[in-house]
Amino acid sequence: MALSREQRERAYRTIALSRALDERMWRLARAGRAHFAVPCSGHEAIGAGYAFAMKPRLDWLAPHYRDLAALLALGMPPRDVMLCFFSRPSDPNAGGRQPYAHFGSRALHVLSQQGPQPNHCSHGVGCAWGSKLLGDGSVTVIAFGDGGAQKGEVHESMNLAAIHALPCVFVVHRNGWTQSVERRLEYATETLVERAAGYGMPGVSVDGSDVEAMHAAASEAVERARAGGGPTLVDASCVRFMPNTSNDDDTRYRDRSEVDAARASRDPLARTRALVDPRFAEAVDAECAALAEEAAEWAEAQPLGDPSTVLEHAYA
Amino acid sequence: MSDGAAIRELTVIEAVREALAEEMARDERVIVLGEDVGRLGGVFRATEGLYGRFGAQRVVDMPMAETSIAGVAVGLAMRGMRPVAEIQFADFIHASMDHLVGEAAKIRWRTGGDWSCPMVLRTAYGGGFRGGPYHSQSVEAYYAHAPGLKVVAPSTPADAKGLLLAAIRDPDPVLVLEHKRTYRAIRGEVPEGDYVVPIGAARVAREGRDATVLAYGMMLHESLAAAEGLAEEGIDVEVVDLRTLLPLDRATILASLERTRRLCVVHEDTLTMGLGAELCALAAEAGVLDVPPVRVAMPDLPGIPVDDVLEDAVLPNRATIREALVRLVSRERSGGAAPAHAYDPAIPQASSVIDVALAEEHTRAAIAALAEAARAFPRCNATFAWSGIVEHPDVIVDLDLGPDAPAAGRGTITLVDYGPEGSDLAIPFVRPGQTAAVRIGAVRDGRAYVACAVDHRAVDGADVGRFLAAFKSALERRAAPEAARAR
Repeated sequence: MALSREQRERAYRTIALSRALDERMWRLARAGRAHFAVPCSGHEAIGAGYAFAMKPRLDWLAPHYRDLAALLALGMPPRDVMLCFFSRPSDPNAGGRQPYAHFGSRALHVLSQQGPQPNHCSHGVGCAWGSKLLGDGSVTVIAFGDGGAQKGEVHESMNLAAIHALPCVFVVHRNGWTQSVERRLEYATETLVERAAGYGMPGVSVDGSDVEAMHAAASEAVERARAGGGPTLVDASCVRFMPNTSNDDDTRYRDRSEVDAARASRDPLARTRALVDPRFAEAVDAECAALAEEAAEWAEAQPLGDPSTVLEHAYA
Repeated sequence: MSDGAAIRELTVIEAVREALAEEMARDERVIVLGEDVGRLGGVFRATEGLYGRFGAQRVVDMPMAETSIAGVAVGLAMRGMRPVAEIQFADFIHASMDHLVGEAAKIRWRTGGDWSCPMVLRTAYGGGFRGGPYHSQSVEAYYAHAPGLKVVAPSTPADAKGLLLAAIRDPDPVLVLEHKRTYRAIRGEVPEGDYVVPIGAARVAREGRDATVLAYGMMLHESLAAAEGLAEEGIDVEVVDLRTLLPLDRATILASLERTRRLCVVHEDTLTMGLGAELCALAAEAGVLDVPPVRVAMPDLPGIPVDDVLEDAVLPNRATIREALVRLVSRERSGGAAPAHAYDPAIPQASSVIDVALAEEHTRAAIAALAEAARAFPRCNATFAWSGIVEHPDVIVDLDLGPDAPAAGRGTITLVDYGPEGSDLAIPFVRPGQTAAVRIGAVRDGRAYVACAVDHRAVDGADVGRFLAAFKSALERRAAPEAARAR
């Protein structure tokens, strides 16, 4: 299912903004201006693809921590992303309590992300179960990495979702690395789509650097879930262009030439750029660079925490 | 509890079942999930009848997967439902711990209040029914160490219902620990209809003067039995049912200990790093104990043995609690909170005497004069410790008017005045926790000797005389006899 021109332009704008923010955060973290960056370059078409298949503020998301593009697509402003990055107390995601990439927003229907991956799978299943009980027609997208997929949490979650035909979609970002550990030491199959059959749910493998393919797969899955057809597993392959986080040194375990080769053929930004008018893309690039710069400067200037508030929010 | 509600006798399990049924009828957001909770009604029958009444949509038999039972409850709660999850035996709960401690307890805090997680997780804990190491454990210490979570442990049918209703309506996650032996062994009055027992409120289950027992669950009942036995021997034990383990009801606990000043903690959980450690520390920090506390707990073993004799040998019971209480009430008082008449030879004293013009009626004036002098010499209104001398901001005069009205031992400085029946001259002694004491001798012909003793580690010898002179001046200004004033 091809995207309309307007949809292609929205997708490009989202991915370009995600990339501009990502690169700026990486440089700022390397310069010691913030504690922690979690790059998502290479993953953007997955989040953009599934987020544009969702109904914002009706559907729910338990995101992967590399799903900045999805957060932007659902309406998170760049300034909020940067507040999260600088861990400012005014950050609506985590109030200065969690490091960057632990997204969460009630207003945007994004479940709060935690540290241990991927505990949010069962939270997403619970959320989808709530949707079914409430009968409001909402769908929950649950995204996680292929490293996280090895945890019993994912097995239990997919099993339960399939048993009760819950309205959810499991999206696995399959980049082949779990921080420094390569795919063959994490799972014995080439992909993860085989697992869907084991739970009695449909599964689809998709090139996660192709936003049109990702959007098509996610749309079908979301519509099936919304119609009462239960969960789907979307196995989305991609390439992680950057180290795991700003605390990681990937030269110790992988060859940069492998990444460079992948960039040439599987860069979601370049591939989505090919779907829009070059002049549009140039204008968007400039706009996104300016937005990222402004958001970073603004957020960094926001006040640090007030110690008199440190005991707040442990209980209602 | 609501007025006029009919009261019937129920067992704990019947009270739990009633709470669930009533709240499910009242609130459509409440759903019950767990292993065997559906057609079987739960292995303990806590959910009996719910499946037939509310259906498979709201009473859900979960796969045998404790991690996701808790995790899915987290998601349901975040979504706006009121999940009541059941972990069949507390021994299986640790697979849920990541979601209870790492997620549910943190969600409100980690989002700066944006999200909340109003879930309930019930589980059956405790030994005494030959369940062996995986069906008998007490797990409270792990979870009472998780700020953000609330942990309740009812011991009576009325509390089992009222605390469960409070838990379901609470805006934060609550772990409900139900002692499986209380389920059918404990029967009691339960009001009909809607009421809650507030989370965070302990209850004095039995009043007493001589010692306080802090207990919960089945041990509450064993402690009450031990207390009843000791009452026949003239030992009067107060028993406090904690009811909520996190957050602790510090006010009720400390108020009881202020009265009895002796503490015994009883729990089935193992001793080291158990709840008793926290309760003893709480009491010690508040300075409410006259003697060292005692703990009655399971020994530090990895599990509870299934053999009848071996299990009985490790679980606390009314006999071991009684033995601990006898030990506790026979302990000699010592240390900072000793009775006011106790003389502590460890305090090196310096003293001085002065002659004062004084009326027969002078006690009120003497209290005011001593307060004035003590404010001028704060070292005389202090507590000595090797780590440092603490000068108290307020002067509290502890009055010793004789053997029938001795000092209470609560002040910051002592005034001894036995009146005309007392000696003409006697040196007082410094009470533990204070640095000075003043004694007024019997008044003879409008004059009296006043003696002062100080803790020499806190007050210099020359200052004793200066302090006493200041007291004399303040006292004569207020209570010199008419004749002396005229002079």
